[in-house]
Amino acid sequence: MVPPWRINEVLDRAETGPICLEKDFELKVLLPKLQDVIKEYEIKFDPESIVPSDDSIADDVWKAALELYLEVGTYCTSTHRRILFDESEIREAMKNFPGKFVLGYGKDSRELFHRKIEDERRPFCLFSPDITCDEELFVPMSMAYLQEPLADGVCAPILEEIEGRSIKAGAPSEIKGSVAHAMMFREAARRVGRPGVFLQSVGTAQTDAAQIAASNPIWGERLTDGRFVASISELKVDFSLLNKMVHFHQYGCFVGALTGPILGGYCGGAEGTAIVGTAYHIQGLMVNQAHYQNYFPFHIKQMHNTTRELLWGISMTYQALARNTPLISLSNGFAAAGPCTPMVLYEAAAHGLVSVVSGANLWEIAVARNKYKNRATPMEAKMACEVGCGVAESGIKRPEANELAKRIVSKYEREIAEAPLGKTFPECYDTRKIAPTDDYTNLYKKVKEGLRGLGVPFIY
Amino acid sequence: MSLETLNERLKKFVINGQEDAAQKTASEILNAGVDPLEVIEMSLSSAMITVGEKFEKGEYFLPDLMSAAAAMQAATHVLTAEMKEESKEKLKAKKIGRVVVGTVSGDIHDIGKNILALLLEANRFDTYDLGKDVDSMKFIEKAAEVQADIIALSALMTTTKPAQKEVIEFLNEMRLGDRYIVMVGGAPTSKEWAEEIGADGWAETAEQGVKLAQTLIRDR
Repeated sequence: MVPPWRINEVLDRAETGPICLEKDFELKVLLPKLQDVIKEYEIKFDPESIVPSDDSIADDVWKAALELYLEVGTYCTSTHRRILFDESEIREAMKNFPGKFVLGYGKDSRELFHRKIEDERRPFCLFSPDITCDEELFVPMSMAYLQEPLADGVCAPILEEIEGRSIKAGAPSEIKGSVAHAMMFREAARRVGRPGVFLQSVGTAQTDAAQIAASNPIWGERLTDGRFVASISELKVDFSLLNKMVHFHQYGCFVGALTGPILGGYCGGAEGTAIVGTAYHIQGLMVNQAHYQNYFPFHIKQMHNTTRELLWGISMTYQALARNTPLISLSNGFAAAGPCTPMVLYEAAAHGLVSVVSGANLWEIAVARNKYKNRATPMEAKMACEVGCGVAESGIKRPEANELAKRIVSKYEREIAEAPLGKTFPECYDTRKIAPTDDYTNLYKKVKEGLRGLGVPFIY
Repeated sequence: MSLETLNERLKKFVINGQEDAAQKTASEILNAGVDPLEVIEMSLSSAMITVGEKFEKGEYFLPDLMSAAAAMQAATHVLTAEMKEESKEKLKAKKIGRVVVGTVSGDIHDIGKNILALLLEANRFDTYDLGKDVDSMKFIEKAAEVQADIIALSALMTTTKPAQKEVIEFLNEMRLGDRYIVMVGGAPTSKEWAEEIGADGWAETAEQGVKLAQTLIRDR
């Protein structure tokens, strides 16, 4: 059975579940239970073990997340009620989850599937800049990502302006911008010769109305494309998000759950972030009834996830899911450094390596703290995905991956707080020919050789 | 138990976020006949400065911050309950300024804003937290109502940060631009963005936000 199975159950529970103040949900429901399960299952971050090899730790993270989610559920801020499920419902949903889908259409379609720990099949690689861009750069930047050979799917940059006017959430400008985003992205896919490639959209649309406006099988978001339903930190939704969920399922496209637990926020440290992150995947299945998840835990101040503690959390979440569920998830990297710097390529390599050996597919990569307009290129995503594919096909195991991860992380971890911003897309690419500059190409080759020297496997 | 020990215990309970213990110790200190104003200034303020420092260093996370704030509020409630009017006025005079804080219209993210509000309160600002998805005009109405010094605007999405600009435009068109200091922050914002929209200051983190508020008030 393919999701969704019980939309009305979710909507009814959002209207009838236990009433709770939002502040009480955070302080009296979520926090105490999270602290309880961390203690009960003795989950402990070890900086020397970025990729733990002990299966029992992964299973404990899963048990902790399941216990947490069963008790806490999802809070709906629109109704001030908790949406709760019992274990048999979660088991039923998991048992009926297919574990694989074909995304996109025709020659450009690709299979997205549940991966296992140390899985030797290449991960599904989604290339995404995850950042805003100037209106005139939208098509060239999209084409740059779309033309990458390893890209099984692509997500476009986000528009801040349309026809020279600022896009504002909830205003008509957002609908105009979102429709333009969908149209231009599809045009870009055809121009690179991949009209059927899986497109994840519409990042420009924050509100439900703007997302709905972009659904159109001819010029906009098709049934073979993917759309996101995000969540509110932590483990919260509202009617706007549930509106998207209902619309996407009724329209018939693929639905992804977009979740980023915050290290340093309500999750506390690395342990809480790994557990809440795993619980988010249960929420994605039960509330959003998602086909796949995009998972991007990040640090509350530094807006990245390439430090030891976050990479450990990513590994734990994916190992927990790989061993205990059929769920499909794409691990979304967030780097501190910006394009055309050695550091960003090392960060990308570390994220790709740790994610793939732990059982994830890849969504690569937000860079420069995901903050600066035009500051992303496909080169960073390419590095993460080349490493990810190399890790899978070489069949390396977790202990070796852990040693490699430590070697790579040690190359940049002291620089995280002062990570270089790097360059913008037009500084790294010829935007008319849509090709990287010689500078960046040479830097890429140099870093790749350096990584090879450390023992990182590549597919070519 | 000596007064000094009681004060140290109160400080420790606030730093550790032990709400009940902080409340009980505050009562014991009051019963010992100490001036509550002195306790608030010496023990509670100092405890919250330590908490803020621990958060800045990454030793404390949001839950620790919230527990400490709750413990401080519980102790303050006990200490101010029977405080003389004169002392209450003195306490008020010790405040650095009034801040109206919120996440802008269309934006439902509030963790960063919540941390800023907690740290401002801990650093002797009177803080009025309007929550999330706040209509631009509400900031201005509230600022007028409480005679605020600062309006602090948080945005987490690129498509919601234009609402920060809208608040500033409203203020300018209503000829209130000089009356309030406007601070902006949030993931997609930057110093350049703050300058572009005419904000008085930008902070990358909540801790920097507190320092910025202190500087802007001082230099006003």
